[in-house]
Amino acid sequence: MSVLIDGLLAILAIYLALQSLLAPRLIKSVFLFFAFGLALALAWVRLGAVDVAITEAAIASGFLGVLFLDALRDFSPAFPAKQKNPEAAHNVLVKNNTKSLLLSRIPLGLGLGLFLLIALEAVWKTPEGGGLTAAAEAFLPESGVEHPVTAVLLNFRAYDTWLEIGVILMGLLAIFAVGGIKVYRKPNMAAQDPMLRQVIMFFTPVLFLFGAFLLYFGKTGPGGAFQAAVLWGAIGILLHLGGKSIIEEIPRWLRQLILTVGILFFLVLGFLFVAGGNALFEYPRAYAGLLILIIETLAAISIAAALTAIFANLNQMKEDPNETESIN
Amino acid sequence: MNGFFIIVSVFLLLNIALGLIRVWRGPTVADRLLTTQLFGTTGMAILLVLAGYSKDLTLLNVAITFNVLAILLVISLFQVWKKRREKANDDT
Repeated sequence: MSVLIDGLLAILAIYLALQSLLAPRLIKSVFLFFAFGLALALAWVRLGAVDVAITEAAIASGFLGVLFLDALRDFSPAFPAKQKNPEAAHNVLVKNNTKSLLLSRIPLGLGLGLFLLIALEAVWKTPEGGGLTAAAEAFLPESGVEHPVTAVLLNFRAYDTWLEIGVILMGLLAIFAVGGIKVYRKPNMAAQDPMLRQVIMFFTPVLFLFGAFLLYFGKTGPGGAFQAAVLWGAIGILLHLGGKSIIEEIPRWLRQLILTVGILFFLVLGFLFVAGGNALFEYPRAYAGLLILIIETLAAISIAAALTAIFANLNQMKEDPNETESIN
Repeated sequence: MNGFFIIVSVFLLLNIALGLIRVWRGPTVADRLLTTQLFGTTGMAILLVLAGYSKDLTLLNVAITFNVLAILLVISLFQVWKKRREKANDDT
């Protein structure tokens, strides 16, 4: 009977993925992408990967949804009032490059087909003896946490997680490199609008509390640093949208410290134990649980700050051309 | 009892599929935005039903995450509108 749910979910997810790519107007794509995130999160739940489902819900629907919506505002005339005839413009574009499109489509299609075949084969062939699940579960008591996913992420494969924090920081640095660190004051909208102020005042503590809960809950169940970081980052985004950008309110040195403290502490800790004769990122067993909690907290703070900074910077970068446009 | 859970979640999934019509046709952005809010709420309901079905209360974390973050979309869109309205007022 539950095949019915799974089948419906699979059809919905694939349909939404296709439609969000093929929708003629960008605004449709963005909202369909949001719905796709929901379908995917439900699919992960059905597959038993609740950790991934939370991350999917937080990043794909929450953070990316807002980023896309924000990008839409400035990079395309997608809002109905401005867009007269999107389909016509689309057709002209296609007609002009039919030949070159066909030439690029065939190799692209072949490559994609090959990639899909390889992916299918990888999924089809389950590793002998169930992969590393048994090994991870056997060493669970020594990891300092009770949830296998957290144990793998922050103890057994801590190196990967450390690099992942670095990737987010790299993304921020790339945005800084392209757009520069700009400081534009936004109008303090929260002061003018009582409704917005109430929403921000209500949701800030809720987001903080639930983020902290997810962070701590990661020890025993699905949750953890990345999920908590998105929720904390959402506070920064909310405040930024209301006109109070925390990234600008705090001094520059503190901003840099907050952005790097997660990756730095992780690194220092990793090498500290190398000096003591252990392997890289091998914690002493007695303190493993506490160390993982500290690492996760600092990493969550760093990632949250990075996500806020990414949003704040992108949101500001576009203020400038927008203003000049309105004068014309 | 299991059959009941499955029927309810299939019904809710079909609800989401029906809501897609508004994303396609919705004349204004507000219609489309409301659809995403409907998806968020219906998704939460499905997760709650699934939590009951699989006796796994950690699914509630996913549900809360979804709905706490749904407010971001609304605020973001609201800000865009406000700006556009101010611009329109300046022009006239």
